[in-house]
Amino acid sequence: MIFAAAGYAYPNAKVRALRSRRLTAQDRHFLLEARDFSSFLAYLVTTTYGRVLPDFEEEKTDPGVLERRLARSLMEDYAKVTRSLRGKRQQELVLALFSRFEAENLKVLLRAMFSGLEKQAVAHLLYPLGKLSALPWDGLWACNNPAEIADLLIRNPFGQALKHALPQFNVQGRLFPLEMALDLSCFQRLKQAISGLRSRSDKKAAKRILGPYVDILNISWVIRLKIHYGLSHEEIVNYSLPGGELLTLSHLHRLARAENISLFLEQMPRSLQKEVQEVREWEDFYPYLETWFLRLLARFFMGPPFNIGIEIAFLLEKEMELTSLITLLEAKAQGLSPGKTVKKLPWQFYEVAHV
Amino acid sequence: MFRPVKLTRLTIQVPEDRISAVMAILGDLRLLHLIRVEETHLGRLGYVAHIDTSLLEHYDSLLARANRLLRDLGPAGPSSGIRKVPQPDKAVFRLEEDLARIETEALEPLERKKKAKNAISEHESLIARLQLLEPAKIDLDRLHDLRYVTWRAGLIPEENLNKLEQSLVDTHHTLIPVGRKEQRVVLLAMSLKKDEEALLGALKSAFWDTLELPPEIHGTIGKALDQLSAELEHLKTELAGLDTEGAELTQKHGTRLKRLREEILLARQLLKAQAEFGQIDHTYLLTGWIPVALFEELKKRILKATSGKALVDQVDPKDIKEIRSGILKIPILFNNPMLIRPFERLTTLYGTPSYEEVEPTVFLAVSFLLLFGMMFGDVGHGAILCGIGYYVFRKMYRYIDYGIILMECGVSSMIFGLLYGSIFGLEDLIPALWMHPLEEINRFMVMSAFLGIGVISLGLILNLINVIRQRSYGELLSTSGLAGALLYWLGVGLVARYLLSGGLSPFEVIFAKVAAGALIILMILQRPVRAVLAQRRTKEKWRHLPPGLGGTILESFIEVLDDLLRYLANTVSFVRVAAFALTHAGLFIAVFSLADMVQNVHGQGLFYWITIILGNIVIIALEGIVVSIQTLRLEYYEFFSKFFRGGGKPFQPLLEEKL
Repeated sequence: MIFAAAGYAYPNAKVRALRSRRLTAQDRHFLLEARDFSSFLAYLVTTTYGRVLPDFEEEKTDPGVLERRLARSLMEDYAKVTRSLRGKRQQELVLALFSRFEAENLKVLLRAMFSGLEKQAVAHLLYPLGKLSALPWDGLWACNNPAEIADLLIRNPFGQALKHALPQFNVQGRLFPLEMALDLSCFQRLKQAISGLRSRSDKKAAKRILGPYVDILNISWVIRLKIHYGLSHEEIVNYSLPGGELLTLSHLHRLARAENISLFLEQMPRSLQKEVQEVREWEDFYPYLETWFLRLLARFFMGPPFNIGIEIAFLLEKEMELTSLITLLEAKAQGLSPGKTVKKLPWQFYEVAHV
Repeated sequence: MFRPVKLTRLTIQVPEDRISAVMAILGDLRLLHLIRVEETHLGRLGYVAHIDTSLLEHYDSLLARANRLLRDLGPAGPSSGIRKVPQPDKAVFRLEEDLARIETEALEPLERKKKAKNAISEHESLIARLQLLEPAKIDLDRLHDLRYVTWRAGLIPEENLNKLEQSLVDTHHTLIPVGRKEQRVVLLAMSLKKDEEALLGALKSAFWDTLELPPEIHGTIGKALDQLSAELEHLKTELAGLDTEGAELTQKHGTRLKRLREEILLARQLLKAQAEFGQIDHTYLLTGWIPVALFEELKKRILKATSGKALVDQVDPKDIKEIRSGILKIPILFNNPMLIRPFERLTTLYGTPSYEEVEPTVFLAVSFLLLFGMMFGDVGHGAILCGIGYYVFRKMYRYIDYGIILMECGVSSMIFGLLYGSIFGLEDLIPALWMHPLEEINRFMVMSAFLGIGVISLGLILNLINVIRQRSYGELLSTSGLAGALLYWLGVGLVARYLLSGGLSPFEVIFAKVAAGALIILMILQRPVRAVLAQRRTKEKWRHLPPGLGGTILESFIEVLDDLLRYLANTVSFVRVAAFALTHAGLFIAVFSLADMVQNVHGQGLFYWITIILGNIVIIALEGIVVSIQTLRLEYYEFFSKFFRGGGKPFQPLLEEKL
């Protein structure tokens, strides 16, 4: 206990300080109720996200560019949290979580390569990873084909995953297998990082957070692969993420086979069924699941503090806040009303959003 | 040696049907600096020659074929050089025939060899795939004969096996792990034929890597492996035979092929050079610079080759208006003996001398070797440098000049080593013919300063020669001209007189003051006076004084002061020669001290000598680089800056590209 307290006193203090910079209830209210995109931006600049936004001229603002700019705040927090942790294994866990953003940038790189675009043309789609990413980005951008990328990253889990996916890429002639391989490798790394934690309380905390997180991702992936990509249930199961807590492979298979929403709901684990019982459209699932997950994360800040759960919970909470902000930004850019927008947001974002 | 080769401007008019023959002669001669037609009035009028593109394409194709043959036959080493420059439009037929003859003999065996190599590669790959399946001990014929079951063999990542099982839970299937390879499982996946689509979908999403097995493989895996291994051995034997055949072909045709390639390259270059010519109707016009000594021979050969139908003229550079007015420059063709020639690289590193300037390479070479030797004087070290230089000279063709420079530096070091009496830092083996630097430090420093005076004085004299040649007499009164030189020598004379006699007489002092004062006033006023005279020649004669005269005088004053101080600094700079010579000796002391310390601990055995040897290596490497840099610095900054203006144009011989 004493050692745990000594190890986590500083990181927890850091996290709590960073957490205090979340959007306030007032911020969420005024952002949601903003009349139009320019009002939205005008208010956003006054929040804690204002410092990562560029000096822009309204008519030239591209939502796509802004999204990645806003992400800088999250990237900086990842770097601060990583630096504050002393243990290598704890750092590895945070870096494994961070590797998802590296995977996104690798996907952008692959798509640019496939489309024959230069880095400058897609720079606005890249996450500002900063020094926390140890990948050789200059070398990667100089590669001419995915096989070269795999060779360059051979000592990295991404490289191994790409190498295994290259045969299917060559057969199918599309990037889908490579992109899925990148995503899967992140969560494989996460699973290994959790196994690598020495402290029981750390392991338990990490599983209690990341297990459900993987579950909600798996559910949303099943929906996406089934409805948007039209894949068969056999394929969907193989693309599921490892490390879930509530959903077994069998569960996921049954979900993948469900032909409509009500059958889908029946196959959900009991603990999640009541959370999503009001869902009527496929796209409504994620906000409900997010709401449930945010409640779970909030409980961590009230429980035993001296474990890695605080740090992980904060980073995921911040990430979800960012996702909600970006959803709101896109809604305002498209001119959607607040009434239509709230359906895409978790309850925590708009529930107390009143002054 | 002190001047570049005397050149003359050549103009050739030749009928279109004889251009090829003329090109061959020019190519043979090489020493022609072509003037691009765009730089002449013909170019401005649009009379630019056209390259025979179809002929050029033919040569490109010949070159590609020759390169392919050379790559496949692989004859090593450079070509022995061609004796006669080809006439492009005629030579193409012979080259085509020769190449086709070689191809007829060589292409078929090379093709067979390539096929054999491909077959070996395919066999090896198939054997590797079958070896992965060997533990399953399956009969491929039985698998191929299955009517209701479909099967696939391949690899999937280990972590995906469970997911694959789960994804096929609704399908009648079996997944048989056969082995492992690099974090992947070798798997035999089977299902009913009606479920083939589901199986394939599941495999696809599990990152399945199929092990392709050709349908002609029969029987058990073991039997197939034995058969394939036997075939592989047979193929390898066949390849060995083809290799022998290939080696014979290389022996037979290699040299000829390399020469063919050189001829093709040369002919191509000649064809491309035609783009530099002018053309009016069916007549080509070439103009360029050529050494005066070669003109008559060239004229004779061209007239003979063209049956007198060509016109060959020369013009003295002095008679060319553009040269006199400075618009065009005469290119510089160096004219140095073999031992001095490598130093041309160091000269051109600073700049290309103009045609009228003194060609400084020989002065650079002598002073460089003198300075280097003084700073690096040791017989042993000099011998090593010589050895390294010789190795580079013999083995590294691209750096042959540097090899010669190294050898010469080595010899100079050895000579000074004898003068200092030093062999690998040991000064008691041979007597010093001059002095030990460490024992007479003051004297050495004074010697260095006087050496610097000598070098600077030489620079000033060369500058005076350049001024006279270039007829820029106004420079004579400047600090870098006669006035500056006289003032410098006056100063040097006074210092020398003082050092030798211990004092100066009153007359000498007065004379020095008056002379120095007069010279300084001349130097300060020469620019303003020239400005006044220039203004008088203009239309504004009503002005007595040019505008800004006060500023000009002030600038001139400061410039003179700066230049005079620079003379002092440049002279003192040569004391570094003594400093580095002493450093060289001092480093030896350090090495021997270290060796003595090692000796006290380990005795005079292996470690002692290792210390000595390593220490000498470090001294040679470190001091060698430092001394070279310092010598170059003295040459460029203290010496060249006194007279070398540069701005010349280097001579570019026809076909200068290396083949």
